[in-house]
Amino acid sequence: MSLGQDVIVELQAIVGSDHVRTTKGDLEPYARDATPLFRGVPDAVVWPRTAEEVAAILRLATRRGVPVIPRGAGSNLSAGTLADRGGIVLVLTRMTTILEVDADELLARVEAGVTTAALAEAAAAKGLLYAPDPGSRTVSTVGGNVATCAGGLRGLKYGVTRNYVLGATAVLPTGEIIRTGGRLWKDVAGYDLTRLLTGSEGTLGVLTEITVALLPMPATTNTGVAYFPSLADAGRAVTAVIADGIVPATLEFLDAKCIGAVEDYAHLGLRRDAGALLLFGDDGHADAVSRSLDRIGELSTRHSALEVTLAPDVARSEALLAARRCALPALSRLGTLTILEDATVPRPRLAEMVGRIDEIAGRYDVSIATFGHAGDGNLHPTCVVDRHDDAAADRAHKAFGDIFATAIELEGTITGEHGVGAAKLPYLQARLGADQMALLRRIKAAFDPAGILNPGKLGS
Amino acid sequence: MTNLFDPELLDRCISCGFCLPTCPTYALTGDEGSSPRGRINLMRALDTGVLDVDDPRVKEEASFCLGCRACEPVCPAGVQYGQLLETWRDLQWTGRNRPVIAWALMTAAARTSLLRLMGLVRRPARGPATAATSLMLGCFERGLFPGVSRAARRLLPGLAVPADQGCCGALHAHNGQSHEGEEMARRLGEQLPGVVVTTSGGCAAHLASVLGRDRVQELSEHLVATGVTPTGEVRVDGRRARVALQDSCHLRNGLGVSAQPRALISAVADLVAVPGEASCCGAAGTYSMLRPRDSRRILDPKLDAVEAAGVDYVVAVNPGCLRQLDTGLRRRRSRVRAVHLADLLADAAGGQALPRPRRRAFRAFRAG
Repeated sequence: MSLGQDVIVELQAIVGSDHVRTTKGDLEPYARDATPLFRGVPDAVVWPRTAEEVAAILRLATRRGVPVIPRGAGSNLSAGTLADRGGIVLVLTRMTTILEVDADELLARVEAGVTTAALAEAAAAKGLLYAPDPGSRTVSTVGGNVATCAGGLRGLKYGVTRNYVLGATAVLPTGEIIRTGGRLWKDVAGYDLTRLLTGSEGTLGVLTEITVALLPMPATTNTGVAYFPSLADAGRAVTAVIADGIVPATLEFLDAKCIGAVEDYAHLGLRRDAGALLLFGDDGHADAVSRSLDRIGELSTRHSALEVTLAPDVARSEALLAARRCALPALSRLGTLTILEDATVPRPRLAEMVGRIDEIAGRYDVSIATFGHAGDGNLHPTCVVDRHDDAAADRAHKAFGDIFATAIELEGTITGEHGVGAAKLPYLQARLGADQMALLRRIKAAFDPAGILNPGKLGS
Repeated sequence: MTNLFDPELLDRCISCGFCLPTCPTYALTGDEGSSPRGRINLMRALDTGVLDVDDPRVKEEASFCLGCRACEPVCPAGVQYGQLLETWRDLQWTGRNRPVIAWALMTAAARTSLLRLMGLVRRPARGPATAATSLMLGCFERGLFPGVSRAARRLLPGLAVPADQGCCGALHAHNGQSHEGEEMARRLGEQLPGVVVTTSGGCAAHLASVLGRDRVQELSEHLVATGVTPTGEVRVDGRRARVALQDSCHLRNGLGVSAQPRALISAVADLVAVPGEASCCGAAGTYSMLRPRDSRRILDPKLDAVEAAGVDYVVAVNPGCLRQLDTGLRRRRSRVRAVHLADLLADAAGGQALPRPRRRAFRAFRAG
């Protein structure tokens, strides 16, 4: 579709003509997010500054039946911010004010376009921790994190974004501005719309302001690495760690291919001869951290670890975590098309799942590397193929279909932290069943009767 | 038009967006079209014929990009953005589409006779034509800051300085003539014996990309690598000088050299870290001349930060940056002075007096 000139004039009246773009060259950079193989060219890109402007845009869109796709930094991996049916891409990156960081109430209030790293820094400046730690934190926005319920490297101990959202301001597609939740940990008045909006992937409302809970900054953090002959060995060590009653902040694994790719980029001196590594980290009082890391090291050694080393200082510890955060782009060096997926299984079935992924990769003759959050059963099987080899891309696609089916079979899910987007919508019914899918659609219709907000995604 | 870019280079980008927070022009506009990821999407659209070189946004972005390559070190996928930009400008800035100023500068720089004349008038460093290591006289540095090469040679008296040297061609490579730029670098490589030492980060990166990383060293890199310890101290009003550094983008992002100039400054003065010191100053080769308004929008917050830091000097390791900082600081009658690293070190060694920072009282008077 294309927008009528009158719609464009109205948009310009709402946000100013500098903040509406409609030429082919202006739209092309917004035709993609970080999801490979997906493309969708919008008809206009609009940058609002306030919730009121967002409301006016959404009222106009509802009246005229124009799709609106909210977008933060566009770093999502599920084609969740693509205008695959045209319409308006609503970019929230001008809304970057950190409204407050309150050390007494342990919370922060930010506009949706603030980056996760900026929020974390503002909190740290007051001695506070914003616990969610997605790999894309320097780029991704808090609004986007909440919309996809982003996870990250501290998931085991601290959970995901959902656990920290106290309240939100959201604009409904019909133009109402609602404030859900507030500043309280305990607040059970009414349906939990804050939770419903969290992870709704921009299909129910546009988040414009978010209140998040903070924690006191742990006194120390440290990180260690354990190398194993195989991922199955690493998996057994993880089971042993959890069984021992230790809940570290971070428990991440990389398989051999990922180790090589990360090492190529980050030059950390990781052992390339290992079949897998576990990156484990914890925070808290110095003696507790050191006890917990020593114990994990001990258990790893008992479960056939080749070598265990602890980071000697904060800088080295940060470098190790940074290396893990960049595993995806680093893997992309192995080929020209990198498809990263996101499946989760119950923790005790992690090793089994990895085995099944290997078997599926073999069956479809594709190379799949796997890394992820061993602590919470969340894995990122990543397939790297040649962009120009359509047959290989097709086989990869089929392999992922089988991987999702396997995850569900093992009582897991098709996405642990990236969201469903357009990319995984075809697999959603297998996870939720027909009745829940129908309920999702009824909820969507209650919020968005005209169906203008991020169509083709959740609730479609 | 299709397949204009090296597919290997273009396919490297996976659109993860890690580059966004480092891009100075994206920081100005918040529009992805002026970010590395967005510009690569524009190149892809050129490559597939969805857009052509006459598209206004494509034209605008090829010129709006500073070419600072801040996106490269943060890119885990290893996208060689600088190379893509060179190809893009080769396509974009042909014939009448080449900016006139860039064309004039390139023509002048390519004339060895003109450079020779400049050498006679402005008197840069002189030295024998043969030695194991040689000093490159930058084409514009020769005319604008001839003292820099003299200071460099004072620090390193053993350098060969052939008088008859041309321009390295960085200017051409960044302004739509990458082939000529490569040729010129190769020719210069033949004129200069041994390892080539340069006082310009931009020239160093370009020369290294053609002659190989082993043959080219920027001054600070060379001093640290050869263990030449700076002597003396830079003093202002009877105390040790407070000095900030402005990184050269190509030196830092292209060659990964950023610790060395800092180590050298620390040896002779108090090095003061200034927020934003690692990001582009807006000089960006010909950028400050082609897009003066945007160049100042990038420079101004940087100068605010430098002034707020209360330093006496801000050091540049590239003549373009030096000119940019100097012009900006003079314009605001700042007490801070911009100096080249070679001058700072030569002053410390008692060789060459630096301009004195203006007195603070003057500013107070002006503000009052």
